[in-house]
Amino acid sequence: MNQTPTRGNYLTQAWLVILLALLYGGALAAVQMGLGERIQKNKQNETYDQIPQLVPGADKAKTVEHEIQGQNHKHAIVYEARNQQGTRLGWVLPGSGQGFADRIELLIGLDPPLATILGLYVLDQKETPGLGNYITSAEKFRDQFSGKQTDPPLAVVKMDPDPKHEIQAITGATISSTSVSQIVNHTIENLRQPILDLPATAQH
Amino acid sequence: MSSMELVVGLIQIVISAALINNFVLHYFVGICPFLGVSRRVDMAFGMGCAVTFVISLAAFLSWTFTYYILRPGAPLPAWVWHAVGGDASVSIDLSVLSYILYIFVIASSVQFVEMYVRKYFPALYKSFGVFLPLITTNCAILFACLEIMKHLQDPTELWSLPQALALALGGGIGFTIAISLMAGLREELDLCDVPKPFKGPGITLIIAGIMAMAFMGFTGMDKGVHAALSSLFQ
Amino acid sequence: MASSEPTALERLVNGILPENPIYRQLLGMCPVLAVTAGMRPAMTMAAATAAVLISANIMISLIRGLLKPHLRILVFTLTIATFVTIADRFLAAFMYQMSKQLGPYVPLIIVNCLIISRCEICASKQGLRIAIADAVGMSLGFTLALASIATVRELLGAGTWFGLPVLAESWWPRWGIMVLPPGAFLALGLLLATAQWFTQRRTANSHK
Repeated sequence: MNQTPTRGNYLTQAWLVILLALLYGGALAAVQMGLGERIQKNKQNETYDQIPQLVPGADKAKTVEHEIQGQNHKHAIVYEARNQQGTRLGWVLPGSGQGFADRIELLIGLDPPLATILGLYVLDQKETPGLGNYITSAEKFRDQFSGKQTDPPLAVVKMDPDPKHEIQAITGATISSTSVSQIVNHTIENLRQPILDLPATAQH
Repeated sequence: MSSMELVVGLIQIVISAALINNFVLHYFVGICPFLGVSRRVDMAFGMGCAVTFVISLAAFLSWTFTYYILRPGAPLPAWVWHAVGGDASVSIDLSVLSYILYIFVIASSVQFVEMYVRKYFPALYKSFGVFLPLITTNCAILFACLEIMKHLQDPTELWSLPQALALALGGGIGFTIAISLMAGLREELDLCDVPKPFKGPGITLIIAGIMAMAFMGFTGMDKGVHAALSSLFQ
Repeated sequence: MASSEPTALERLVNGILPENPIYRQLLGMCPVLAVTAGMRPAMTMAAATAAVLISANIMISLIRGLLKPHLRILVFTLTIATFVTIADRFLAAFMYQMSKQLGPYVPLIIVNCLIISRCEICASKQGLRIAIADAVGMSLGFTLALASIATVRELLGAGTWFGLPVLAESWWPRWGIMVLPPGAFLALGLLLATAQWFTQRRTANSHK
């Protein structure tokens, strides 16, 4: 049967599409309602799960989020790490910037006056596997950041780093290592004053 | 941000999408037309231009829909919700409908381009044959829409329309470069002595691999490009 | 053209090797190259594609009597997009890290030519049992193809399999290129050529 469909014909044929659209729309809404919260939690936990490692002694459930405006006039969310009693133990700052291949995303743990770095965690990176990749997989590289002073900004050297101010680059991945340090420096410089300007919290 | 910084940022997005993170050789989208492309460079170039046009159109539409309707906290649903007296503190997230919307946007864009080409470039339309409607299943276009959606998730760093279009344009240009190169190489390949098992997709993939290796040389370039352009415009 | 349609079992076996979606039909290449850097992402992608393919085939087969010729592609696309969204959400909810790693390639299942072609060729014309068998067969074939490429790339490139160390660094130097984009092309090209070689030998032998 080969009839050329007229305009009216198209409309009557469209009822199936409309019915399916409603059915599928309902299914998607159900999925969203059922799983939406779980997915949100997963996204949040990516950061929250790291907070006890980045600021030793912190209770991740007691973390307080603050939305502030950095010196670059962009909004940022910073995390105040508290222990079980509610005392402020430090800050966790998200930082990002251009690495060698693509963007690198970090979490930086700092003490309350933002003077010492307590920890570093790489959230996301697409550096060269086997070389730049080591910023994530080599714990030795990340552990270097603990205990470093934030002022003056960190510098990267190839060997014999100063224990308070310098980072040793990964062999063969100088640019990736430098990018990580630069991101740390820029993030702290960008957010230092707005964080210090936040009102001091009372203990709970 | 000064307008110069904006322009530099846009150029960086275009170069990054076209060369450094080439859609075909780095992200593996648009492989089917890439492998099956004709041996004629002019046909391949025409196909690339058509795809670039469709990607840009689809990116424009999907950015608009995502920014105003689909993303979490989008203005239009919030306005409607408020108008029917809903709770203002609830943030509406319609992003679950994203994929369906994008595929329809793409199908419509291809349909639109098809009608346009048929009306104004009938000879071109005939030479394209079945490839024009097949652009709908070209992963590259949906991929561009998905990348734009990715950059509209974080409310502190939303991509503007020029940035989305820059990504689409760069992606299309990169796709065109890749398939034109492949078409040219396949022209030469006809004169070579390819072992029987490799004939067809086998040797094409190996060539693609070597091309991908060559394009890897562009890694890390966008930082330098950014620095060069900034100093140029200073 | 055979006078009788293939049975359900025949369709199932057909999809695994004789009509393997990657090695024979050359469909759905995009995710194959992207996710095969390791076995874990590859198998997750295979499972997601299988879920979508089987669900879509079931749905289309159920409504095959109502499909009008002019709107059927629209219906296929709508159905597949819905199932892909559901699969993507489930992955984000229960396997968040893997979902992040797979990134945009899960939604790209929508434009995977394999699923639309199965809906068009089989599900829109056949009953439920046959449609399911066809989908399962194609999924197994797809999984097999992904597994073969991912194994080659992960073993040669990182010395692991499913993340577990297999080849010690001293036995086999890491071919970093294998887990990078060029390695994907090279691995698939070589495996395709191998598959072609086997087929050509078999046809040559059967003609003797």
